[in-house]
Formats: sequence, C-alpha cells, structure tokens
Amino acid sequence: MLQLTPQTIRIVNIYDDGTNAKHFTFEPKGFVHDKPIGIGQFFMLTLPGAGLAPFTYTSLPDENGRFNALIRKVGRLTENLFSLKEGDVLGYNGPLGNGWPVEQFEDKKVLIVAGGCGLAPVATTIDYLINNNRGESVTLLYGARDLGSQVLTKERARWQTKITLCETLEEGADNAHSGLPTQHLLQTIKEYGGLPSIVLTCGPEVMMKAVAKTCIDSGLQSSDVWMSVERRMRCGVGLCGHCYVANSYACKQGPAYRYDDYLSLNNKMVSTQQHQGAFQYC
Amino acid sequence: MLNHSYLLKDLDILKQHLAKFYSMVQIEKDANGEERWTDQSDPDTVGLFGHKHLPSTSPKGFLFAEKEALYKFDGETFESITPQVVPKVLFGVQACDLTAIAYQDKFFKQDPYYQKRRENILLVGIDCESPCTNGFCAEVKAGPHVNDNTADLVVSRLTVNGSNQLAEWLVIAETEKGQNSIKGLPLDKAHKAHFILRNRLLDKMRSEFADYSYINNAIEYLNDNAVPQHLWEEMSVRCLSCSGCTNLCPTCSCYSTYEIAEKQPDNVISETKAVKTETLRVWDSCLFEGFQREASGHNPAQQAAQRVERFWFHKFSDEYLTEFQRYGCVGCGRCEQTCPGTIGVHSVMKRINQECCS
Repeated sequence: MLQLTPQTIRIVNIYDDGTNAKHFTFEPKGFVHDKPIGIGQFFMLTLPGAGLAPFTYTSLPDENGRFNALIRKVGRLTENLFSLKEGDVLGYNGPLGNGWPVEQFEDKKVLIVAGGCGLAPVATTIDYLINNNRGESVTLLYGARDLGSQVLTKERARWQTKITLCETLEEGADNAHSGLPTQHLLQTIKEYGGLPSIVLTCGPEVMMKAVAKTCIDSGLQSSDVWMSVERRMRCGVGLCGHCYVANSYACKQGPAYRYDDYLSLNNKMVSTQQHQGAFQYC
Repeated sequence: MLNHSYLLKDLDILKQHLAKFYSMVQIEKDANGEERWTDQSDPDTVGLFGHKHLPSTSPKGFLFAEKEALYKFDGETFESITPQVVPKVLFGVQACDLTAIAYQDKFFKQDPYYQKRRENILLVGIDCESPCTNGFCAEVKAGPHVNDNTADLVVSRLTVNGSNQLAEWLVIAETEKGQNSIKGLPLDKAHKAHFILRNRLLDKMRSEFADYSYINNAIEYLNDNAVPQHLWEEMSVRCLSCSGCTNLCPTCSCYSTYEIAEKQPDNVISETKAVKTETLRVWDSCLFEGFQREASGHNPAQQAAQRVERFWFHKFSDEYLTEFQRYGCVGCGRCEQTCPGTIGVHSVMKRINQECCS
C-alpha cells in the first residue's frame, strides 16, 4: 500500500539564497531514509495548516540524513514555509518520481541548461559529476532574471572552478551575458568544446522546449535531451491526477522526461500541441 | 458458474437476509425526487432496482469518498486517519457502475483509504432489462448485463412479460465472498436452461439499443488525433467548469487536498503554528481552470480547449488500455444528462463524428 501520511522532518538551517528564495536544511525526525534517493527525484512537503507541494533535493542526505532544498516564495504555501524557524517541524514524503538518467552519463560530455529556480533540480547532478571527477565534461548555462534572482550562490561559487559555468541575465548584464539562456545556447556550445552528448534542462517549459529544439537543430537526437517538468501535485504517488502529461503522471513517469518521450506525450493532444505558454522564470 | 447459481422467487428474501449482516445501500428517491444511492437505507424500503433506474449518482462515493481525512498532525508528528467502516452491501448495482468500480479497483489498488472501504463492501449486481435514456454500455463493453468478475453476487430477472415459468430471479455467486453471503438461505440450484434464458434476454435487450455507432467512430478519430483544434475550442466555450461531469462520472478519480486547523490562541499569528491540523482530500475536476495551475502562475492547461480535450482523452484514449484493459468511459451517459453546456458524451462524440466524417 502507498503511504500518504508524511514522516516528520525538522528544519535545522535556513539562509537567504536569492530574491525571495531561501535554502533549507531538513533533518529526519524519528526515521531514517530507507530508500536510496536518486538525483533529480523529488519529495512532497506537508505544511500543517497550509497544504502540500513538491520540492526538489539540492543535496542528497548526509550521514545524519540531512538534506537541502532551495525554495522560492511564490504562493501561499511557500509564504507559510518562509515564516518557519529552525527547529520547526514539517511533513515529508519521499523520494518520489524518476530523476535524471545517471547511468547514461558515463563518459559523456554533459550540457546543463537551467533557468531561474530550475537550477535546483540539477544541483545534485552537478555535484555527482564533480564528485566522480567528471567536472571537466560539464557545461552549465544558467539564466536568471537579474543578479538578485540568481539562486544557489554557494553552490555556484563551488562549481565555478570545477565545471564550465556560463550565466545570463535578462536585466543588468553586459552584452556578452544579456538575455535569455536560449539566446546564448549556440554560442555556448561553440565556445565550450562543441556539441554535447547529453543535455539536461530545467526551467520554464517554454525554455526547455526551445533548448531542445536548438540542440536538435544543431545535430543532437531528441533522445539525447532530458528535461524536468514542473507540475502541480497533491500526492506525489500517481493518485491525485494533477500532474498529468497526457497519459503519464509527472510524479511517477517524470519529473525527468526524455525529450522524445515528452514530445510524443504532448503530441497525443491536439490542443496541447498548439498551446505555447509564456516564458516566465520561477 | 453453474455450481454457484441459484433460483429465487422474491428478491426481498435475499435483501432481508443480507441486511442481517450488512448495512444496506440502495437506490432511493430523495426529497427532490432525485434517485440516488442512499446509505443506511431501511431494508424494508423498496429499492429502485437498477434494472429500471439508473440513478443520477453512481455509488463511487462509497469507495472513493467525496471528502475524507487522510492524516492528522498533533504539533509534533503525523498520524494516519483510517476510515471507520462497517460492512455494507451495495444492493442492485448496474453493469456500467460495476465496470467502473472494477476500473477504480485497479486505479486505487495501492490506496489504503479506498481499499479499506472496498474490502468491507459486498457488491450485488443486477442485470439491466432495458436500455436507459443516455446509456450506451453495450457500445463500450460495460453492459447491459453484469460483466464477469465485477460483482460478488449477480441477480438477473428471468420472467419478462410472463415468458418464463421457471423462477423469478437467477442468483449467481461470482466470488467466495458472494457465496458466503448467501449461506443459510435455502435456495434451489439453477440449471443450464436458466443461463440460456438469461442470454436470450440479453440478446433481446442488445437489439433494443439505439444506433450509437458514432461513439466508436469518434473513439477512432480521437485516437487518430484527427479532431481539429477548432472543434475543441468550439466545444470548450460551452464548458462552464461546473464539474458536473467529473463528479457524476463513475471512473473519475482526481482529488485535491486541503487543511483544517484547530482554532489557535490569539497570540499565535502564523497559520503554520496551528497546534493540531488535519489533511483532507476532496474530489477535484480536471475541467477547473486552476487544476494544473502552479504557484508561479504557469498553467500547462491554460486553455479551456486543452482541459476539455484532456477529459475525453482520459476516457477514450487507447493509451490507457494496457493499464486498465478497457476505456475509462463505461457508457452510463450521466455527463450527457448533467452538462449544462450540452457537451456530454453523446453531444461531443456526435460532433466529432460529424466533423471528421465530412
């Protein structure tokens, strides 16, 4: 049977990490992680009295089971979360969903394109590759609205010397770094060693589609591109129905989809094919 | 099956027997004259048996509760809230609704709340005797006679227009649970002849359905992705997001959650500092504008056309056949009956058929 009732976690650390964004460290209370957590998986947080929503791990559990999450205040639930203090307790269900295809990274050259808070779901991937001495094969193109909106400040500082890191800003950057990450994609590929073997992207859905299209136009297969989609969720285990992508649920088959799978899912519905949402960082 | 088949003169004998062990749930008229599945029904009340009456509600809520508490928080830890159940008999469930329950049994296979209710329910199915107003169960293989392995007991009336002198009702125990439920009832065994008669009545009834071939034609068009975008847009203009279709649909299963908190002392301001809270779930609808809207405002199903198309995709896409071995639509026709914008199943499938045929 599925377990909908959360386990208890305690907030052990909070610090500001970008405009309206905070970095939380959680610690299990009265339980140990009984399943290994895959990079790119997610968990559900229950805020008693406020609701539940999915969040991503920005670090995998340490020896004390502590793990991190980068969270931006965008709605009622996160507003409530931001009012909590160290020591407060919350509900936790995880790990959930399918993460990034680590087994396919092997010796491949990896390009990661992230927008806004979309950097959070790729953070564990970058650390994984660095820890496996693969940092040199990684290029990260990270786009944000402005300097203040950038998240994972400490992580980016740590990654800076180990991977190739390119950052773009919609506002407040010099010409070489101004605009959307998609506008810099081709240039980044050209400058940093040519076409990658695998692309991971996370950010606004429109951005991810544009990234995939550019990469495919440049010669990659659609099966070389992976994306992590965001969806509203009310259970995380394939019951509540909210996170559908055609006949799949992002909480079970996703949130990481191979782009050709995502395309064929979207192509099953005429209206979804037609509809292009707006580009909006979260 | 023959080994577990019996004859019964009066259905009331069976009902009174089951009422000794189970709380009775049957179709009754409410104060407004609406026919509904009614809990804790007095077994002496004559139920509106399903062979004549498809009630406006399905019995879905007795398994997948319209609203229920999932867990509670006492300020320190979370604790599951297990549904309080008593054994119930759903007496006289039509083939379409039974097929829907079998469908939800698969969907909620791992849901502890659903399963807790499910294992305490005895399903007594009833063979329909004539097509109902909007029903097209035969077209989607959900009826009109009760499908195998969808009920614990099946009752089928054998005397129609005085054509049979053998017995009034055939009773088939399809499961061990069903067999146990009639222990102690003195019943004669049924014979092959009774099954032959049952089949003959089924054939006769099948021939009485209107021509619903447009349904299966439209299913093909849907699966060929041949329905043009403009048709989804035209139809979606008529969707008022009232959730009538999803509430009445016996296979719809989407839910949302919400929290209730004990009143806090005046000096505590934060909502999250509530001493005790409960998390509940409640039926939701994919036709609501905000069903997929994220906190950022991004909505993958922003257009009404997407939401309307999604609903019909979920009911008729071949993509679900592997998981459920059938379509999500069981042909009850309740959405047609209730939709204020006339985009229930018949209206939609007719329009798709017309548009794609021409």
